[in-house]
Amino acid sequence: MVEREMAHRVFAREFNDSRFQLQSVSIHEDNSHVASVHSPNFLVTPSGAKSNRVFVVGVVTEVENMADLKSGAKELLRARISDPTGSFTVYAGNYQPEALVFLSNVEVPSYVMVVGKVRSYEPEAGEVFVSIRPEEIHYADESLRNRWIVDTAELTLERVDFLKKALDSGLTGKILLDHLKSLGVPLHLVEGICLSLDYYHTDLAYIEQLRANVKESLLSIKEDGSCGSDEDHDHESLVLEVMGSIAESGSNSISGSVEYAAIITEASSRGMSAAQVDQIVRILLSKGHIYEPRAGVFKVIH
Amino acid sequence: MEDKIAPHVEELNRALENIDEATIRLELTKLLKFKVSMGEAKKTIMKKYSPRSSSFVLIKDIEPGLEGIEILARIINIEEKIINSQGEKKTIFSGTMGDDTGICSFTSWDDMFLDPDDVVRIKNAYTKLWNNRPELYFGKRSTLEKMPDEQLPAIKEISHTNIKKLKDIVAADVLAGSDVLIVEMYHRDVSLKGNDLTIIEGVIADETGKLPFTSWKKFDGIDIGTFIHFEGAPIRIFRGLPSINFDENTHVEIIDNPISLPFSLESANQVPEHMPMSEVIGSNGIFDVLVRGNIVSIRPGSGIIERCPICNRVTQKSNCRAHGNVECIQDMRIKAILDDGTGSIHIMLNCEISEAIYGKNLYEGEKMARDSISKDVVFDDMRNVLTGKYIAVRGNSSKNEFGVSIVAKSAWYPDDDLSVRIDSMLASL
Repeated sequence: MVEREMAHRVFAREFNDSRFQLQSVSIHEDNSHVASVHSPNFLVTPSGAKSNRVFVVGVVTEVENMADLKSGAKELLRARISDPTGSFTVYAGNYQPEALVFLSNVEVPSYVMVVGKVRSYEPEAGEVFVSIRPEEIHYADESLRNRWIVDTAELTLERVDFLKKALDSGLTGKILLDHLKSLGVPLHLVEGICLSLDYYHTDLAYIEQLRANVKESLLSIKEDGSCGSDEDHDHESLVLEVMGSIAESGSNSISGSVEYAAIITEASSRGMSAAQVDQIVRILLSKGHIYEPRAGVFKVIH
Repeated sequence: MEDKIAPHVEELNRALENIDEATIRLELTKLLKFKVSMGEAKKTIMKKYSPRSSSFVLIKDIEPGLEGIEILARIINIEEKIINSQGEKKTIFSGTMGDDTGICSFTSWDDMFLDPDDVVRIKNAYTKLWNNRPELYFGKRSTLEKMPDEQLPAIKEISHTNIKKLKDIVAADVLAGSDVLIVEMYHRDVSLKGNDLTIIEGVIADETGKLPFTSWKKFDGIDIGTFIHFEGAPIRIFRGLPSINFDENTHVEIIDNPISLPFSLESANQVPEHMPMSEVIGSNGIFDVLVRGNIVSIRPGSGIIERCPICNRVTQKSNCRAHGNVECIQDMRIKAILDDGTGSIHIMLNCEISEAIYGKNLYEGEKMARDSISKDVVFDDMRNVLTGKYIAVRGNSSKNEFGVSIVAKSAWYPDDDLSVRIDSMLASL
């Protein structure tokens, strides 16, 4: 039975921290292990997601044409898709024609979803670059992004909890595998957790860091979503006001457009954090109150 | 001497429950007097008194791939079947048999002149996985011996012991019993071996789950909402999903006072709790399961399709596999892969459900297809609109060589539950 590899949910920070590439081997009759072309390759993340495929919803913040830089490849686009913890790198080339078309026309920034295969590239020992090769890439919306963050947070916490249990047990190898199974850890996680502990020698500090990342991510959407919509509204008017005043003052603006950095500086002086301003700017963009004629430059729509 | 053999006598006595200690002691002393070694003497006694040889297997311990085993069982039912084997017609006999530990199905390749209720000892039988169950096989090369009737409990006792909750009924149960509620029921006319008969089909439920049933006998005074107690119902497995059959040997009675049961008509009709996909995948098949996840891929074959008006098969360029060139009926469907981060499952949505999820009806889809040069326009649009979307799907899951799939009975966009989940996670951090 050839089962489809499921799409893991991992935050960008953890994904980019991953170093452990697992080449599938098939065991031949003479007991020799041979790398098989047909069996999937995996990237084992620090919390033990043994992933061949990932599902990401985030904000596309940058699309770069790499074709000019690299000889040979006729068309190659690199996109950054950011989540609250960092950004995923997505490469689309000739063999991903749909993704190529999508990324060459995509509005930056906007919410997108990506289902893709995990790729890793190791130019020299110890240095691993991970990226996603898209199978599906489409526009998404804020509610889908928020749901992805919540789902990813839950699944990450689940992995982290099991990882901690594994660490606390002090066991290794086959005994650890059996121990985790007896604890009722779902089978799809057991192997990844054992492999990850063996490779990364994860310590409690890293586990705490993962948990902190989850917390930050959750707080980031709590602020702009479910609670304090009045506060949001205030922030929105504040940012609009700030943009208006900068545009009028003319010092930092060309024909009514406002630079992103200027908004941050001005709004921070009125008691908003940079992250908050960023969120609000995105909300205003999605609501159509402002638009972005050039990267990093905004205009208020009157 | 006496002291020396005491532990061995005790050991033998434990192994041979039915034989009293004095007999064993006598036999053992006799053998030892002939200077037979203790090990050999014990083996001899075991062989003499044990009803079971070393290859003896209890029904409950049967697993696929056993060879040369010995079985002592009572035939519960047996029927003659004619099969086509390499172009030749061959008569085989199959049915179920049981001992006091369980029941299994069997196939005899040759006529062994067996009747229901016979107690038989079969030597040199083997097992294989058939219909998702270990099944016992025997034939000319096996030896078969009819045994005295009192060796095993009666059919009634054998088949009526297996009382379970619906969730716990698995492929290894050939017969089962339970207390359940009829939640769906309808009559169907079928033709079986040339005879027209009316069968009853439906769904039964308890607090642990639901299963489909078929009744081959009339149901007097039983309808939707009736609580029944049944025993000795044969279990069939279709794509890993058990279904309950009520036949002439099944005992069914109406429960007069269902108040004491841990479920009611109301609770049994509730939407089930959603289940992580890893659990659904771990199970062979689940009746009425609810999953939620993101659509990670819309599969080819989705969109506007054409069906044969006679057999409902999907046609290629107006050509039906069975009926040739036909006037096709237009239809819309969605085949997709749903993924919740613990596993992925194939889902199939029919026209009505597809319309609700996709947001365009069949007519609009047909119009899009007519107005466009590309016949895949609806498929492409579905991919754009639906990929990534988070939906809930309810239906029956089944397992085949391509993984687990669910044919949707219903599907919807679930309510936003994010703030509750965020708060509960933040509280734990």
